Amino acid sequence: MSPSASTDTPAAPADRPRALRLAKLLLSEYFVLVLCVVYVAAIYPFVPEILTWQVASNILGDMMPLLVVAIGQTFVLIIAGIDLSITAIISMAAVVGASVMTGTNGYLSGSAVAVPAAILAMLAVGVAVGAINGLSVVRLNMPSFIVTLATRMFFAGLAIWYVTFHSTSSSIADLPASFTAFATGSVLGVPYTVALAFAIGVAAHVLLSRTQFGRWVYAVGANPAAARISGVPVGRTIMLTFLISGACASVAAMMYASRMQTGSPIAGENILLDVIGAVVIGGTSLFGGKGKIVWTVFGVLFLLLIDTSMKLLGSSLFMIYIIKGGVILLAATVDTFRHHLLVNR
Amino acid sequence: MKTGNRLVLLLLQNAPYVLFVVLLILFGLVSDRFLAVANFRNIVIQAAPIAILAIGMTFVLLTGQIDLSVGASMYLTASILAIYLTGIPWPLGLIAVMAMAAAIGAVNGGVVTRLGVASFIVTLATLFILRGIAMWLSNTRTLMFPDPITDLNRAHVLGVPSAIVAFAAVFAVAWLVLHQTPFGRQVYAVGGDPEAARKAGLPVRRIVFLCFVIAGLCAGIGGFVSITQIGAVGPKYGDQIEFSAIAAAVLGGVSLFGGRGSVVGTVFGAILIKTVQNGLNIINADPYIYPLVTAAIIFIAVAIDGLRTRIIEKLERRTIRPLTGE
Repeated sequence: MSPSASTDTPAAPADRPRALRLAKLLLSEYFVLVLCVVYVAAIYPFVPEILTWQVASNILGDMMPLLVVAIGQTFVLIIAGIDLSITAIISMAAVVGASVMTGTNGYLSGSAVAVPAAILAMLAVGVAVGAINGLSVVRLNMPSFIVTLATRMFFAGLAIWYVTFHSTSSSIADLPASFTAFATGSVLGVPYTVALAFAIGVAAHVLLSRTQFGRWVYAVGANPAAARISGVPVGRTIMLTFLISGACASVAAMMYASRMQTGSPIAGENILLDVIGAVVIGGTSLFGGKGKIVWTVFGVLFLLLIDTSMKLLGSSLFMIYIIKGGVILLAATVDTFRHHLLVNR
Repeated sequence: MKTGNRLVLLLLQNAPYVLFVVLLILFGLVSDRFLAVANFRNIVIQAAPIAILAIGMTFVLLTGQIDLSVGASMYLTASILAIYLTGIPWPLGLIAVMAMAAAIGAVNGGVVTRLGVASFIVTLATLFILRGIAMWLSNTRTLMFPDPITDLNRAHVLGVPSAIVAFAAVFAVAWLVLHQTPFGRQVYAVGGDPEAARKAGLPVRRIVFLCFVIAGLCAGIGGFVSITQIGAVGPKYGDQIEFSAIAAAVLGGVSLFGGRGSVVGTVFGAILIKTVQNGLNIINADPYIYPLVTAAIIFIAVAIDGLRTRIIEKLERRTIRPLTGE
């Protein structure tokens, strides 16, 4: 099942070494990472800036919120669900958190516990929406696509409405310095956001690959009926993946709010398709049962490399759209091809 | 007890219609303007573009696929019409838009059926590509349409507004194709069980391909009707409208997993969504709550649908039990 296992197969007959090497590369765990390296090497002569520290740290800064959301989405995709509500969670969490800690008419303006309380409130929003999604899928038998489409519509609308009660402008500004420092500060030279995203990534990886819950997630995604018969608590597993996705979106909301120094109801509004695209580029299947956190990391990295290099090349938005679409299509086609290779082996 | 169950089941089976009647009564109680005939005509006119789009989406959903690119297709074809085809008479413009949109549908369908890539991803990718090309052609400017096209919005055929004529024509053709032709039965067969359909000798790939072409065609017609109504398209035109179309279809009882639903339900779903927005408008509700109420209604309708499946299962179980007991 895992592509890494196939790399251990005995050496092939010498008459088809090249085809085999290609197949091996295609099936490799690190295929998308290899693509990233090849892409950077190919684009380097045109935009040498891409390897400068400045650009690299920009890419990292842009990457973190996207990555954290994509990690949460990976869990949901592996159980063969989808979470379209992530951008609405980001918006809602950002404005709720901001309304708690803002210096102007915040619920806890100036209080010492304002920032921790706001962070808790943001997490609570993500977990609550995740719980609504999960409960609807598990208890009410609803397809996750529609559930999360509805919660997305609802909370995106609610976030905009919510701001009107707390601010005269379209977002909630005046966030405390101790909160915005999260976006700018660093520990031992590593920005807080990168450290946090790394920690979440490692935790998610361990959860998926080293724990019983992780095995349940794959089992439910591969075949829910078989999983249920084998004693896997299917409902609880599905529920947890939506809670994880919601909490990850909340963390992304913190990153966006601290970077923009405001709680905006349109924070992260446009990242939904990027997130799903990145996870799929990484190789996680929309049909469940297949996916890894490292794949998602590579997918997000690849998408952002393209995005950044195109901007450096002076391409307009339309070119970035076209190339992004092409890459998503190509990645999916390659993935289908890989699947055939694995099946025909 | 048993008749009680029957009644519950009957209510659940017609949940969207029950919901519709409840809303009509609620809005009607608050405002007497709401129940006027002229208002209903307005609702249908406003619902026409989404409904036409959703009718096409129904074909794709019935085969168990999805098309996320219809909004981008609307934007691209409208941009080409506004930039390159300004002088031509509107019937030619409509035909051009339909042809281009159908070609886009053919590309989607071709990639899905030939390369075997999931339609969600294929149409997600074409969404990006089509929007990119449209922004490139239009330079992300807002494009205006000439009077002959916007005049269509006020045109009537035998006293019926043009948008309603287009809506009715698309609905009639779609209904005939889906319920009165072998192709329609094949669509349901493919959606119900693709493997069984293949074994029965149905050309599964060609049927799925054609459904994508139909979805494209409807995106072209729906897009054309909407540009006669709004007269201008900007970079946000058609953005995420695919979600509204999917919501309308699902609200009308179309299953995302294929094989279940009809265009009648879809049209009803689209009108239900617009009725809610119109009703909120007439009772002077805060505009901020429009998406909240719409989302809640979609949620409730789909939740009831899920509940219905469970209750039917339960009822079936009850009829079996006495037999096994004997």
